[in-house]
Amino acid sequence: MTTPHSSHWLQPAFDDPVLDAQVSFRAALAALAEPGLTQSMARAHALGDLAPATYGLCLAFLDSDTPLWLAPRFDTPLIRANLAFHCGCPIVAEREIALFALLDESELADLSDFDNGSERYPDQSCTLLIQLADLHAGAPLRWRGPGIKDVRSVNLPLPASFWQQRQARSAFPRGLDCFFAAGGEVIGLPRSTRVLIETEEAA
Amino acid sequence: MNLSTASGAREASAYNFAYLDEQTKRMIRRGLLKAISIPGYQVPFGGREMPLPYGWGTGGMQLTAAILGADDVLKVIDQGADDTTNAVSIRRFFARTAGVATTERTVEASVIQTRHRIPETPLSAGQIMVYQVPIPEPLRFIEPSEQETRTMHALEDYGVMHVKLYEDIATFGHIATAYAYPVTVDERYVMDPSPIPKFDNPKLDMSPALMLFGAGREKRLYAVPPFTKVISLDFEDHPFAVQQWEECCAFCGSSESFLDELIVDDAGSKRYVCSDTDYCRQRTERLEENLQ
Repeated sequence: MTTPHSSHWLQPAFDDPVLDAQVSFRAALAALAEPGLTQSMARAHALGDLAPATYGLCLAFLDSDTPLWLAPRFDTPLIRANLAFHCGCPIVAEREIALFALLDESELADLSDFDNGSERYPDQSCTLLIQLADLHAGAPLRWRGPGIKDVRSVNLPLPASFWQQRQARSAFPRGLDCFFAAGGEVIGLPRSTRVLIETEEAA
Repeated sequence: MNLSTASGAREASAYNFAYLDEQTKRMIRRGLLKAISIPGYQVPFGGREMPLPYGWGTGGMQLTAAILGADDVLKVIDQGADDTTNAVSIRRFFARTAGVATTERTVEASVIQTRHRIPETPLSAGQIMVYQVPIPEPLRFIEPSEQETRTMHALEDYGVMHVKLYEDIATFGHIATAYAYPVTVDERYVMDPSPIPKFDNPKLDMSPALMLFGAGREKRLYAVPPFTKVISLDFEDHPFAVQQWEECCAFCGSSESFLDELIVDDAGSKRYVCSDTDYCRQRTERLEENLQ
């Protein structure tokens, strides 16, 4: 921190730290349990470039036990100061040791080095919190797997390189779990979801 | 019974909402995210001491405490019954520490903590089942070493489970495992569905409700998301089958529910009643309405 006192960056977090964290957690739980369904996540205020949903995920899940990796866009004194104060999470420069990572769409072409767990401990892997401008502006893709009754059509605006990266880092049970956040909404994508790329199907 | 709300403000305000502190809840919540992402995999978590002994549902209670919110309606059952000691005390515990509404009606509940049964009334989307689990590792009785069972899960090396079922067939002529019957979740992990009777196993398959499992002494939690394939292990020539009874429930006459056997006199005469008290009461009330 370059400023001698970072306290002037501080902003309020959840209005009710206990119940707002619980509501945000349940939205995240529902998002992962039913991948592709949009859940409301609007208990937090925006923090600089962090949308309410993204900041809500941070406040609900981060604490001193969760090293966080920040994309350059979010690595600002404002965000650092508030995450340090409200969550107390260590912010790390090495992707390998991060349990959570805050990403924006410019980072999606490279998901290397994030921990995707081991065969014996697949749970010890990084969770990606990905902030997008919008959750519904992309081409529809068909998702299958646990939490989806048959097939679910989801149109997240993601580059093809993201799906290639996800594929490259997946070897179930190893893999990366993602939350996509925009405004006050969130969509979950656990590693167990199988995504059919339309072009692949035609081929 | 109708909804009963704890009067106004929470009674036990000296405790944090739902008893556990926030950092513990966050740790359990992060574990639950991973459990849902890897259906059937047992996630280790830092189990806390709860104000009741191991074996009384400390694992289930910690999960319930981590997920419970002010708007939830909680139902607690023990072997299907709402009115047994374990169910009553856990229900009162959360009514006091979280001030949540409680119910005995399956359809009214948003969170159902259960010991060893799944309600007969079909579950609906949005409901969360929390199972109390004594021994979460289905391979434990075959392989006592945690190192080894973890490797077996990693390698998907489950042949020994079929050997165990085959030994049943060799000894008894049929698969004699009647509860805690092992299942395969989403064609990957073999999971102990907790000591529910195998009668309840088909209810896990493609259920619209979210299933969470907590083992307090063993400090493991695992999950089955909604609409997930849950298949009971079996053989082509010995397919999985649930228990059946020739009798009906002595109260409501149901021939479709899981029945408990009661000895009613010194001569050993038997009666059978539904294990699910809410289901039985709903049916009895409907029968009485029709009679009037």
